[in-house]
Amino acid sequence: MAQDNTAITVVLSEELDLVEPCMATRSNIGRVILQNISETLTELDVRGDKGLMPRLADSWEDKGDGTWQFKLHPGVTFSDGTTLDAADVKHSFDRVFSDQLTCESARYFADTALSFNIVDDTTIDITAVPAQPILPLLMSLVTIVPSETPMEFVRDPIGTGPYVMTEWTAGQQIVLDRREDYWGAQPEVSKATYLFRSEPAVRAGMVAAGEADIAPQITAEVADNTATDFSYLNSETVYLRVDGQDAPTSDIRIRQALNAAIDREAFIGTVLPTGTELAVAMVPPTTLGWNPDVAVPAYDPELAKKLIAEAQADGVDTSLPIEVVARTENFPNVTEVAEALVQMFNEVGFTATLRMVEVAEHEQYYSKPYPESEGTRLVLAQHDNSRGDPAFSMFFKYDSEGTQSGVNDPKVDDLIARASAATGDERAALWSELFAYVHDEIVADVLLFHMVGLSRVSERLDFTPTIATNQQLQLSEIGFK
Amino acid sequence: MIKLIGQRAIASVLSLLGLMVLVFFLSRLTGDPAVLFLPIDASEAMKAQFRALHGLDAPLIEQFGRYVLDLLQFDFGDSLRKARPAIDVVMEAYAWTLPLALITLCLVVVAAVVLGSLAAFNVGGFFDRMVSIVSLIGASAPDFWIAIVAIVLFSINLGWLPTSGVGTPLHWVLPIAVLFIRPFGLIVQVVRGSMLSALSAPYVKTARAKGVKNLPIIFIHTLRNAMLPVITVIGDQAAAMLNGAVIVETIFGFPGIGKLMIDSILQRDFNVVLAAIMVTAVAIFIMNMLIDVAYGLLDPRIRH
Repeated sequence: MAQDNTAITVVLSEELDLVEPCMATRSNIGRVILQNISETLTELDVRGDKGLMPRLADSWEDKGDGTWQFKLHPGVTFSDGTTLDAADVKHSFDRVFSDQLTCESARYFADTALSFNIVDDTTIDITAVPAQPILPLLMSLVTIVPSETPMEFVRDPIGTGPYVMTEWTAGQQIVLDRREDYWGAQPEVSKATYLFRSEPAVRAGMVAAGEADIAPQITAEVADNTATDFSYLNSETVYLRVDGQDAPTSDIRIRQALNAAIDREAFIGTVLPTGTELAVAMVPPTTLGWNPDVAVPAYDPELAKKLIAEAQADGVDTSLPIEVVARTENFPNVTEVAEALVQMFNEVGFTATLRMVEVAEHEQYYSKPYPESEGTRLVLAQHDNSRGDPAFSMFFKYDSEGTQSGVNDPKVDDLIARASAATGDERAALWSELFAYVHDEIVADVLLFHMVGLSRVSERLDFTPTIATNQQLQLSEIGFK
Repeated sequence: MIKLIGQRAIASVLSLLGLMVLVFFLSRLTGDPAVLFLPIDASEAMKAQFRALHGLDAPLIEQFGRYVLDLLQFDFGDSLRKARPAIDVVMEAYAWTLPLALITLCLVVVAAVVLGSLAAFNVGGFFDRMVSIVSLIGASAPDFWIAIVAIVLFSINLGWLPTSGVGTPLHWVLPIAVLFIRPFGLIVQVVRGSMLSALSAPYVKTARAKGVKNLPIIFIHTLRNAMLPVITVIGDQAAAMLNGAVIVETIFGFPGIGKLMIDSILQRDFNVVLAAIMVTAVAIFIMNMLIDVAYGLLDPRIRH
């Protein structure tokens, strides 16, 4: 039962396979570990506009030539009593890049080689080749562990965070207890018990029955209490990946017609929760460089028919089949969304069909090399970026070499390369230009929705979910009324 | 009887070996675990490293050979997702499924035999009609819907029982109740039908003529002869329960084998899938053996 004191119970949608700090970027693991047990050098402010904030690092400085110097907060201790020093930071990265375990955080440094120079106990220089302007931001994705941590997945994570794991009963629950010797401000929550229930109605019911205090993810169907249920932009963007090399979608008019054929507004408040926003970029509006001048394509079936006719007149075979591939359980009501999209395409004259597949098969269509098709495939997908910078999205989705890209455009490649290497205002401006270019000039894909998550929070708590709730649930952000 | 059990045991071992080969190769045909384990934007180098780390880059026949050698030492390998021995993961889950299945099965058998027999004895009467209606509802109502309604009614509205979980004996009430309904609905009908046939047999008339009371006629003279078809259905239902109850486990947060198996298949966690299927198969073979023994005990012609 949920407690009537400072202990809380959180009911999550999926069990944790691992409680491993270097896997904290995996959302189900991050919700328990990130900043609760294990902390990062830096932290992105998702509640305000502070941008990148200090966490274990008090400050950082660009030393030039790809080198950044980080100053650690002095006197920080791990839950095993040892003191944090620069060697721990280096070891944490050694683990991430080790070939003896597969750490998820490594993917953020795919083409970047890092080297470390320990200046003193609380100072470390990190050099990236090629130079990485967002290295301090990338530091918000790597949790720091003690030097003694073995090169294998651990089951008893040691961290510097305000909580320590005191119990893990596989399949049932995880318990975190507050550390009295935490280096920072003491959070109000003294203990957190995490339970796992797959069924959203049960999670919502547990909060209603007083068995749990927070259900970070429920669905619109069960979110029926305005006093406890909150919607929040969850950093997921739903879109149709279009292959610009295939006929008939190689013709821009066909891509424009696809966009004009969709009545986006009709989905919201019906098959998608109220609060869902229309997307004009692959990333949510909280991301650097998001362009407010890019407009959502108007729903105009007559325009779509006209564009198809024009393309047909110029020799484009518009009768070629278009197969929409969508993933079962990708998000609530994904099947209904996909069926409606196919229906809208057919209403303007396309020959569209739907194929619902499970996750592994979906991946075959979503990532290169794409399987052959008679006409073309539109892959309905959901992309998550709550990291604050488009670098985590744009190369993969739009660069000629991008794993899930349907675009082959030199200007796009150039903009991505320049924006990725730029800093400050120039970086924001270049990303902004890229967003407008892929959306308006080359109509690279069919951007649809920025999705919302729904949380149920007990009335005894003072907590509002944020865009980060998909990836983390910081217990220190939870208060009591 | 001993010979019969021996024959069944040999057949079971051969079936297990066949199952092992089949599942190993079929699971490998379903896709690459590296794709599912790693994030979608993981580099090809990361995927290659993952395959190498878990021996998935070796030729399939070599992987199979290694797997068989390990199995001979009862080593099912590690779970890819949980980084723990797969057999440990499976046995932990089975430790929840087994009592859930056995308790439910016992309740189902007792209730179905008693109520089905009494219904047959009062054929056409009010009690018989009530049993028929309840059994039809039980056999056809969807588990999922019953479970959600039960939670809303007994946990949220009345507050009598916990919604889900496994902490106390009270946590078992709703999962067992929901799991009970369908097999009860099926078995009670079979008991009733079988008892109706048995009650019209000449030896029952003889017993009545001798003045034997109703209850002894039902539960001493008739039941044993009526139980053969019932045992078959009980065996089928028991096998299904030993496979885990995915719906019930999912809704009630019961950490059993059914949900583990589905999750592991979706995640391509091959070692867990194989371990789960082997453990479940052994349990089902044992159950079938017990059914065969029960047949033998009930019908001497089978023994001989």
